[in-house]
Amino acid sequence: MADARTGIGVYAGIAANKAPSALEREVVEQFDLMRERLLRYLLGFGLTAQDSEEIVQETFLALFQHLQRGRSRRNLRGWLFRVAHNLGLRKRQRMRATEEVGDSVIDPAPNPEDQCAISQTERRLLAVLRALPEQDRRCLSLRAEGLRYREIAEVLDMSLGAVSIALTRSLARIARSAER
Amino acid sequence: MHLSDQELLLGLDGELSSRDAGRVTAHLAECWTCRARQQEIGKAIADFVRLPNAPLPPAEGPRALLRAQMSQNRSGKDQNWTLMAGICALLMVGLCIGQFWSQATRVVVTVPDPKLTPGATVLLSSGEVCSASNANNKAVPVGLRRKVFEEYGIAHAEPRFYEVDYLITPALGGADDIHNLWPQSNSDTVWNAQVKDDLEDHLRALVCAGKLDLATAQREIAGNWIDAYKKYFHTDRPRNRD
Repeated sequence: MADARTGIGVYAGIAANKAPSALEREVVEQFDLMRERLLRYLLGFGLTAQDSEEIVQETFLALFQHLQRGRSRRNLRGWLFRVAHNLGLRKRQRMRATEEVGDSVIDPAPNPEDQCAISQTERRLLAVLRALPEQDRRCLSLRAEGLRYREIAEVLDMSLGAVSIALTRSLARIARSAER
Repeated sequence: MHLSDQELLLGLDGELSSRDAGRVTAHLAECWTCRARQQEIGKAIADFVRLPNAPLPPAEGPRALLRAQMSQNRSGKDQNWTLMAGICALLMVGLCIGQFWSQATRVVVTVPDPKLTPGATVLLSSGEVCSASNANNKAVPVGLRRKVFEEYGIAHAEPRFYEVDYLITPALGGADDIHNLWPQSNSDTVWNAQVKDDLEDHLRALVCAGKLDLATAQREIAGNWIDAYKKYFHTDRPRNRD
Protein backbone atom coordinates (compact mmCIF):
# COMPACT_ATOMS: atom_id res chain seq x y z
CA MET A 1 0.00 0.00 0.00
CA ALA A 2 1.46 3.35 -1.00
CA ASP A 3 1.99 5.90 1.72
CA ALA A 4 0.24 9.22 1.60
CA ARG A 5 3.33 11.13 0.53
CA THR A 6 3.93 8.83 -2.44
CA GLY A 7 0.30 9.09 -3.43
CA ILE A 8 0.39 12.87 -3.30
CA GLY A 9 3.65 12.88 -5.23
CA VAL A 10 2.22 10.80 -8.09
CA TYR A 11 -0.88 12.95 -8.27
CA ALA A 12 1.21 16.14 -8.34
CA GLY A 13 3.36 14.68 -11.09
CA ILE A 14 0.31 13.95 -13.22
CA ALA A 15 -1.05 17.44 -12.58
CA ALA A 16 2.23 18.98 -13.64
CA ASN A 17 2.23 16.93 -16.84
CA LYS A 18 -1.37 17.88 -17.52
CA ALA A 19 -0.70 21.60 -17.43
CA PRO A 20 -0.90 22.54 -21.10
CA SER A 21 1.97 24.41 -22.66
CA ALA A 22 1.46 27.72 -24.43
CA LEU A 23 1.74 25.86 -27.72
CA GLU A 24 -0.95 23.39 -26.72
CA ARG A 25 -3.21 26.25 -25.69
CA GLU A 26 -2.63 27.89 -29.05
CA VAL A 27 -3.53 24.69 -30.91
CA VAL A 28 -6.68 24.25 -28.81
CA GLU A 29 -7.65 27.84 -29.62
CA GLN A 30 -7.26 27.08 -33.32
CA PHE A 31 -9.24 23.88 -32.79
CA ASP A 32 -12.13 25.79 -31.23
CA LEU A 33 -12.03 28.26 -34.09
CA MET A 34 -11.71 25.85 -36.98
CA ARG A 35 -13.05 22.42 -35.98
CA GLU A 36 -16.61 22.90 -37.21
CA ARG A 37 -15.49 24.47 -40.47
CA LEU A 38 -13.09 21.63 -41.22
CA LEU A 39 -15.67 19.06 -40.18
CA ARG A 40 -18.27 20.49 -42.58
CA TYR A 41 -15.71 20.62 -45.35
CA LEU A 42 -14.79 16.97 -44.78
CA LEU A 43 -18.42 15.85 -44.62
CA GLY A 44 -18.63 17.26 -48.15
CA PHE A 45 -16.21 14.52 -49.20
CA GLY A 46 -18.89 11.95 -48.42
CA LEU A 47 -16.97 10.75 -45.37
CA THR A 48 -18.80 9.60 -42.26
CA ALA A 49 -18.98 11.89 -39.24
CA GLN A 50 -16.63 9.62 -37.31
CA ASP A 51 -14.05 9.55 -40.09
CA SER A 52 -14.29 13.32 -40.50
CA GLU A 53 -13.78 13.83 -36.77
CA GLU A 54 -10.74 11.56 -36.82
CA ILE A 55 -9.24 13.50 -39.70
CA VAL A 56 -9.80 16.77 -37.84
CA GLN A 57 -7.92 15.28 -34.87
CA GLU A 58 -5.10 14.20 -37.15
CA THR A 59 -5.00 17.65 -38.74
CA PHE A 60 -4.61 19.43 -35.40
CA LEU A 61 -1.99 16.97 -34.21
CA ALA A 62 -0.12 17.73 -37.43
CA LEU A 63 -0.50 21.44 -36.63
CA PHE A 64 0.90 20.84 -33.15
CA GLN A 65 3.93 19.06 -34.59
CA HIS A 66 4.30 21.70 -37.31
CA LEU A 67 4.47 24.47 -34.72
CA GLN A 68 6.58 22.39 -32.35
CA ARG A 69 9.23 22.25 -35.07
CA GLY A 70 9.17 26.03 -35.25
CA ARG A 71 7.64 26.13 -38.74
CA SER A 72 5.77 29.11 -40.21
CA ARG A 73 2.59 30.46 -38.62
CA ARG A 74 1.67 32.26 -41.82
CA ASN A 75 -1.88 31.57 -42.98
CA LEU A 76 -2.68 28.75 -40.56
CA ARG A 77 -6.29 28.68 -41.78
CA GLY A 78 -5.19 27.78 -45.31
CA TRP A 79 -2.65 25.33 -43.92
CA LEU A 80 -5.33 23.52 -41.88
CA PHE A 81 -7.69 23.25 -44.83
CA ARG A 82 -4.88 21.95 -47.03
CA VAL A 83 -3.87 19.23 -44.56
CA ALA A 84 -7.49 18.24 -43.90
CA HIS A 85 -8.17 18.19 -47.64
CA ASN A 86 -5.23 15.87 -48.34
CA LEU A 87 -6.10 13.56 -45.45
CA GLY A 88 -9.75 13.54 -46.58
CA LEU A 89 -8.76 12.61 -50.12
CA ARG A 90 -6.52 9.83 -48.88
CA LYS A 91 -9.26 8.46 -46.63
CA ARG A 92 -11.75 8.52 -49.45
CA GLN A 93 -9.42 6.69 -51.78
CA ARG A 94 -9.06 3.97 -49.17
CA MET A 95 -12.83 3.82 -48.71
CA ARG A 96 -13.39 3.61 -52.46
CA ALA A 97 -10.94 0.75 -52.65
CA THR A 98 -13.16 -1.13 -50.21
CA GLU A 99 -16.37 0.27 -51.78
CA GLU A 100 -17.52 1.94 -48.62
CA VAL A 101 -18.39 5.13 -50.43
CA GLY A 102 -20.55 5.78 -53.48
CA ASP A 103 -19.61 7.80 -56.53
CA SER A 104 -21.51 10.89 -55.67
CA VAL A 105 -20.39 13.23 -52.96
CA ILE A 106 -22.55 15.96 -51.60
CA ASP A 107 -22.13 18.99 -49.47
CA PRO A 108 -23.02 18.55 -45.82
CA ALA A 109 -26.74 18.04 -45.75
CA PRO A 110 -29.02 19.77 -43.32
CA ASN A 111 -30.17 17.60 -40.46
CA PRO A 112 -33.17 15.45 -41.28
CA GLU A 113 -35.57 17.35 -39.04
CA ASP A 114 -34.70 20.52 -40.89
CA GLN A 115 -34.79 18.68 -44.18
CA CYS A 116 -38.41 17.79 -43.63
CA ALA A 117 -39.14 21.49 -43.60
CA ILE A 118 -36.66 22.74 -46.18
CA SER A 119 -38.16 24.83 -48.88
CA GLN A 120 -38.51 24.04 -52.52
CA THR A 121 -35.79 26.61 -53.21
CA GLU A 122 -33.37 24.80 -50.92
CA ARG A 123 -34.19 21.46 -52.50
CA ARG A 124 -33.55 22.96 -55.92
CA LEU A 125 -30.31 24.47 -54.75
CA LEU A 126 -29.11 21.18 -53.26
CA ALA A 127 -29.88 19.48 -56.57
CA VAL A 128 -27.79 22.10 -58.41
CA LEU A 129 -24.92 21.63 -55.95
CA ARG A 130 -25.03 17.86 -56.33
CA ALA A 131 -24.75 18.24 -60.09
CA LEU A 132 -21.66 20.45 -59.88
CA PRO A 133 -18.21 18.98 -60.54
CA GLU A 134 -16.58 18.04 -57.24
CA GLN A 135 -13.76 20.54 -57.58
CA ASP A 136 -16.21 23.40 -58.25
CA ARG A 137 -18.18 22.43 -55.17
CA ARG A 138 -15.03 22.46 -53.07
CA CYS A 139 -14.12 25.91 -54.38
CA LEU A 140 -17.56 27.14 -53.32
CA SER A 141 -17.26 25.56 -49.86
CA LEU A 142 -13.83 27.03 -49.26
CA ARG A 143 -14.90 30.45 -50.49
CA ALA A 144 -17.90 30.26 -48.16
CA GLU A 145 -15.42 29.55 -45.34
CA GLY A 146 -13.81 32.88 -46.11
CA LEU A 147 -10.72 31.69 -47.98
CA ARG A 148 -9.25 34.05 -50.56
CA TYR A 149 -8.83 32.76 -54.09
CA ARG A 150 -5.07 32.34 -53.60
CA GLU A 151 -5.67 30.20 -50.49
CA ILE A 152 -8.27 28.08 -52.31
CA ALA A 153 -5.80 27.58 -55.16
CA GLU A 154 -3.20 26.34 -52.66
CA VAL A 155 -5.57 23.99 -50.85
CA LEU A 156 -6.91 22.44 -54.04
CA ASP A 157 -3.67 22.67 -55.99
CA MET A 158 -5.26 24.67 -58.79
CA SER A 159 -4.29 27.84 -60.60
CA LEU A 160 -5.77 31.14 -59.48
CA GLY A 161 -7.57 31.47 -62.82
CA ALA A 162 -9.09 28.00 -62.48
CA VAL A 163 -10.50 28.92 -59.04
CA SER A 164 -12.05 32.06 -60.44
CA ILE A 165 -13.55 30.18 -63.41
CA ALA A 166 -14.91 27.40 -61.16
CA LEU A 167 -16.58 29.88 -58.82
CA THR A 168 -18.05 31.90 -61.69
CA ARG A 169 -19.38 28.75 -63.34
CA SER A 170 -20.96 27.44 -60.12
CA LEU A 171 -22.60 30.72 -59.19
CA ALA A 172 -23.92 31.17 -62.72
CA ARG A 173 -25.56 27.74 -62.44
CA ILE A 174 -27.10 28.63 -59.09
CA ALA A 175 -28.34 31.95 -60.49
CA ARG A 176 -29.76 30.20 -63.57
CA SER A 177 -31.63 27.68 -61.47
CA ALA A 178 -33.25 30.55 -59.55
CA GLU A 179 -34.55 32.03 -62.81
CA ARG A 180 -36.51 28.86 -63.66
CA MET B 1 -19.47 46.04 -74.08
CA HIS B 2 -20.61 44.44 -70.81
CA LEU B 3 -18.48 43.02 -68.02
CA SER B 4 -18.10 39.25 -67.83
CA ASP B 5 -19.57 37.22 -64.94
CA GLN B 6 -16.00 36.50 -63.87
CA GLU B 7 -15.15 40.20 -63.63
CA LEU B 8 -18.36 40.86 -61.73
CA LEU B 9 -17.61 38.07 -59.24
CA LEU B 10 -13.97 39.08 -58.81
CA GLY B 11 -15.22 42.61 -58.16
CA LEU B 12 -17.69 41.36 -55.52
CA ASP B 13 -15.00 39.24 -53.86
CA GLY B 14 -12.41 42.03 -53.82
CA GLU B 15 -10.08 39.94 -55.96
CA LEU B 16 -9.41 42.51 -58.71
CA SER B 17 -6.23 44.53 -58.99
CA SER B 18 -6.76 48.17 -58.04
CA ARG B 19 -6.62 49.20 -61.71
CA ASP B 20 -9.23 46.62 -62.77
CA ALA B 21 -11.34 47.39 -59.71
CA GLY B 22 -11.45 51.05 -60.77
CA ARG B 23 -12.46 50.10 -64.31
CA VAL B 24 -15.21 47.73 -63.08
CA THR B 25 -16.58 50.28 -60.61
CA ALA B 26 -16.68 52.95 -63.31
CA HIS B 27 -18.48 50.58 -65.68
CA LEU B 28 -21.02 49.55 -63.05
CA ALA B 29 -21.81 53.19 -62.31
CA GLU B 30 -22.94 53.56 -65.91
CA CYS B 31 -24.38 50.15 -66.77
CA TRP B 32 -27.67 48.94 -65.30
CA THR B 33 -27.41 45.60 -67.06
CA CYS B 34 -24.09 44.74 -65.41
CA ARG B 35 -25.30 46.02 -62.05
CA ALA B 36 -28.36 43.82 -62.25
CA ARG B 37 -26.21 40.85 -63.23
CA GLN B 38 -23.88 41.47 -60.33
CA GLN B 39 -26.87 41.49 -58.01
CA GLU B 40 -27.97 38.13 -59.41
CA ILE B 41 -24.52 36.72 -58.67
CA GLY B 42 -24.69 38.22 -55.19
CA LYS B 43 -28.07 36.56 -54.68
CA ALA B 44 -26.66 33.20 -55.78
CA ILE B 45 -23.94 33.61 -53.14
CA ALA B 46 -26.56 34.48 -50.53
CA ASP B 47 -28.68 31.45 -51.49
CA PHE B 48 -25.66 29.18 -51.13
CA VAL B 49 -24.48 30.47 -47.76
CA ARG B 50 -28.02 30.41 -46.35
CA LEU B 51 -28.41 26.68 -46.92
CA PRO B 52 -29.00 25.03 -43.55
CA ASN B 53 -26.10 23.02 -42.18
CA ALA B 54 -26.08 19.66 -40.48
CA PRO B 55 -25.78 19.79 -36.68
CA LEU B 56 -22.37 18.71 -35.46
CA PRO B 57 -21.45 16.79 -32.32
CA PRO B 58 -20.24 18.92 -29.41
CA ALA B 59 -16.54 19.82 -29.32
CA GLU B 60 -15.81 18.83 -25.70
CA GLY B 61 -14.89 15.18 -26.32
CA PRO B 62 -12.73 15.81 -29.40
CA ARG B 63 -11.07 18.76 -27.65
CA ALA B 64 -10.21 16.59 -24.63
CA LEU B 65 -8.81 13.92 -26.93
CA LEU B 66 -6.65 16.45 -28.75
CA ARG B 67 -5.31 17.75 -25.43
CA ALA B 68 -4.48 14.23 -24.27
CA GLN B 69 -2.74 13.41 -27.53
CA MET B 70 -0.67 16.60 -27.48
CA SER B 71 0.22 15.99 -23.86
CA GLN B 72 1.31 12.45 -24.68
CA ASN B 73 3.29 13.70 -27.64
CA ARG B 74 5.06 16.21 -25.36
CA SER B 75 5.72 13.85 -22.47
CA GLY B 76 7.40 11.02 -24.31
CA LYS B 77 7.04 7.28 -24.26
CA ASP B 78 7.02 6.63 -20.52
CA GLN B 79 3.72 8.40 -19.89
CA ASN B 80 1.43 5.41 -20.13
CA TRP B 81 -1.31 7.16 -18.23
CA THR B 82 -1.72 9.75 -20.97
CA LEU B 83 -1.97 7.00 -23.52
CA MET B 84 -4.67 5.38 -21.42
CA ALA B 85 -6.43 8.72 -21.04
CA GLY B 86 -6.21 9.19 -24.79
CA ILE B 87 -7.67 5.76 -25.48
CA CYS B 88 -10.48 6.36 -22.95
CA ALA B 89 -11.21 9.76 -24.46
CA LEU B 90 -11.19 8.26 -27.95
CA LEU B 91 -13.66 5.60 -26.90
CA MET B 92 -15.88 8.19 -25.26
CA VAL B 93 -15.71 10.45 -28.29
CA GLY B 94 -16.57 7.53 -30.54
CA LEU B 95 -19.54 6.61 -28.39
CA CYS B 96 -20.77 10.21 -28.13
CA ILE B 97 -20.41 10.87 -31.83
CA GLY B 98 -22.04 7.58 -32.74
CA GLN B 99 -24.95 8.30 -30.44
CA PHE B 100 -25.25 11.88 -31.64
CA TRP B 101 -25.32 10.99 -35.30
CA SER B 102 -27.55 8.04 -34.75
CA GLN B 103 -30.13 10.22 -32.99
CA ALA B 104 -29.69 13.27 -35.17
CA THR B 105 -30.15 11.29 -38.32
CA ARG B 106 -32.97 8.99 -37.32
CA VAL B 107 -36.16 10.11 -38.94
CA VAL B 108 -39.18 7.92 -39.22
CA VAL B 109 -40.37 7.60 -42.81
CA THR B 110 -43.60 5.68 -43.22
CA VAL B 111 -44.85 7.03 -46.53
CA PRO B 112 -42.78 8.26 -49.44
CA ASP B 113 -42.67 11.87 -50.58
CA PRO B 114 -44.79 11.81 -53.75
CA LYS B 115 -42.59 14.44 -55.38
CA LEU B 116 -39.47 12.35 -54.90
CA THR B 117 -41.06 8.92 -55.23
CA PRO B 118 -44.14 9.03 -57.44
CA GLY B 119 -43.59 5.36 -58.38
CA ALA B 120 -42.41 4.01 -61.73
CA THR B 121 -43.29 0.86 -63.60
CA VAL B 122 -42.04 -1.20 -66.50
CA LEU B 123 -44.43 -2.28 -69.24
CA LEU B 124 -45.49 -5.76 -68.25
CA SER B 125 -48.77 -7.62 -68.52
CA SER B 126 -50.25 -9.30 -65.48
CA GLY B 127 -49.41 -12.62 -67.15
CA GLU B 128 -45.74 -11.66 -67.35
CA VAL B 129 -45.76 -10.41 -63.76
CA CYS B 130 -47.30 -13.60 -62.47
CA SER B 131 -45.10 -15.93 -64.49
CA ALA B 132 -41.91 -14.29 -63.19
CA SER B 133 -40.06 -17.06 -61.42
CA ASN B 134 -38.49 -14.80 -58.80
CA ALA B 135 -41.02 -12.48 -57.24
CA ASN B 136 -38.61 -11.20 -54.62
CA ASN B 137 -37.29 -7.64 -54.81
CA LYS B 138 -33.71 -7.54 -55.97
CA ALA B 139 -31.17 -5.71 -53.85
CA VAL B 140 -30.85 -1.98 -54.53
CA PRO B 141 -27.26 -1.10 -55.55
CA VAL B 142 -25.22 0.78 -52.91
CA GLY B 143 -24.79 3.90 -55.08
CA LEU B 144 -28.52 4.15 -55.74
CA ARG B 145 -29.31 3.57 -52.05
CA ARG B 146 -27.02 6.44 -51.16
CA LYS B 147 -28.74 8.70 -53.69
CA VAL B 148 -32.14 7.87 -52.19
CA PHE B 149 -30.85 8.76 -48.71
CA GLU B 150 -29.50 12.04 -50.06
CA GLU B 151 -32.77 12.90 -51.79
CA TYR B 152 -34.66 12.35 -48.56
CA GLY B 153 -32.16 14.47 -46.64
CA ILE B 154 -30.90 11.61 -44.48
CA ALA B 155 -27.50 11.21 -46.10
CA HIS B 156 -25.85 10.63 -42.73
CA ALA B 157 -28.49 8.31 -41.32
CA GLU B 158 -27.71 4.84 -40.06
CA PRO B 159 -28.62 2.53 -42.98
CA ARG B 160 -29.70 -0.21 -40.58
CA PHE B 161 -32.76 1.83 -39.53
CA TYR B 162 -34.12 1.92 -43.06
CA GLU B 163 -34.93 -0.36 -45.90
CA VAL B 164 -34.58 1.31 -49.29
CA ASP B 165 -37.76 -0.11 -50.70
CA TYR B 166 -39.50 -0.13 -54.05
CA LEU B 167 -42.73 1.83 -53.81
CA ILE B 168 -44.26 -0.38 -56.49
CA THR B 169 -42.60 -3.71 -55.95
CA PRO B 170 -40.96 -5.30 -59.03
CA ALA B 171 -43.20 -8.26 -58.25
CA LEU B 172 -46.04 -5.97 -59.39
CA GLY B 173 -44.13 -4.48 -62.33
CA GLY B 174 -42.32 -1.73 -60.39
CA ALA B 175 -39.25 -0.25 -62.08
CA ASP B 176 -35.68 -0.26 -60.89
CA ASP B 177 -35.64 3.55 -60.86
CA ILE B 178 -34.93 6.20 -58.24
CA HIS B 179 -38.47 7.54 -58.68
CA ASN B 180 -39.69 4.20 -57.40
CA LEU B 181 -37.39 3.99 -54.36
CA TRP B 182 -37.70 5.44 -50.88
CA PRO B 183 -36.11 4.89 -47.46
CA GLN B 184 -38.70 3.14 -45.33
CA SER B 185 -38.22 2.85 -41.57
CA ASN B 186 -37.87 -0.85 -41.04
CA SER B 187 -39.02 -1.39 -37.51
CA ASP B 188 -39.69 1.85 -35.68
CA THR B 189 -43.24 2.29 -36.70
CA VAL B 190 -46.43 0.30 -36.84
CA TRP B 191 -46.53 0.80 -40.61
CA ASN B 192 -43.10 -0.57 -41.35
CA ALA B 193 -41.40 -2.34 -44.24
CA GLN B 194 -42.59 -5.80 -43.20
CA VAL B 195 -46.21 -4.63 -43.21
CA LYS B 196 -45.80 -3.24 -46.71
CA ASP B 197 -44.28 -6.54 -47.85
CA ASP B 198 -47.45 -8.23 -46.60
CA LEU B 199 -49.58 -5.90 -48.73
CA GLU B 200 -47.38 -6.48 -51.78
CA ASP B 201 -47.76 -10.25 -51.45
CA HIS B 202 -51.51 -9.90 -51.06
CA LEU B 203 -51.95 -7.59 -54.06
CA ARG B 204 -49.83 -9.85 -56.24
CA ALA B 205 -51.92 -12.85 -55.19
CA LEU B 206 -55.08 -10.92 -56.12
CA VAL B 207 -53.62 -9.90 -59.50
CA CYS B 208 -52.47 -13.41 -60.28
CA ALA B 209 -55.83 -14.83 -59.25
CA GLY B 210 -57.50 -12.44 -61.71
CA LYS B 211 -59.34 -10.60 -58.93
CA LEU B 212 -57.56 -7.29 -59.44
CA ASP B 213 -56.04 -5.75 -62.54
CA LEU B 214 -52.36 -4.93 -62.49
CA ALA B 215 -52.72 -1.20 -63.20
CA THR B 216 -55.12 -0.78 -60.26
CA ALA B 217 -52.77 -2.64 -57.94
CA GLN B 218 -49.88 -0.41 -59.04
CA ARG B 219 -51.98 2.75 -58.65
CA GLU B 220 -53.25 1.76 -55.21
CA ILE B 221 -49.82 1.00 -53.79
CA ALA B 222 -48.22 4.11 -55.35
CA GLY B 223 -51.05 6.36 -54.11
CA ASN B 224 -50.91 5.61 -50.39
CA TRP B 225 -49.85 2.14 -49.44
CA ILE B 226 -51.24 2.42 -45.90
CA ASP B 227 -54.70 3.29 -47.23
CA ALA B 228 -54.36 0.42 -49.70
CA TYR B 229 -53.46 -1.95 -46.86
CA LYS B 230 -56.52 -0.89 -44.85
CA LYS B 231 -58.72 -1.28 -47.92
CA TYR B 232 -57.49 -4.68 -49.05
CA PHE B 233 -57.12 -6.22 -45.60
CA HIS B 234 -60.27 -4.55 -44.22
CA THR B 235 -58.46 -3.43 -41.09
CA ASP B 236 -57.25 -0.20 -39.53
CA ARG B 237 -54.04 -1.73 -38.18
CA PRO B 238 -51.49 -4.20 -39.48
CA ARG B 239 -52.64 -7.77 -39.07
CA ASN B 240 -50.63 -10.29 -37.15
CA ARG B 241 -48.78 -12.49 -39.65
CA ASP B 242 -47.83 -15.18 -37.15
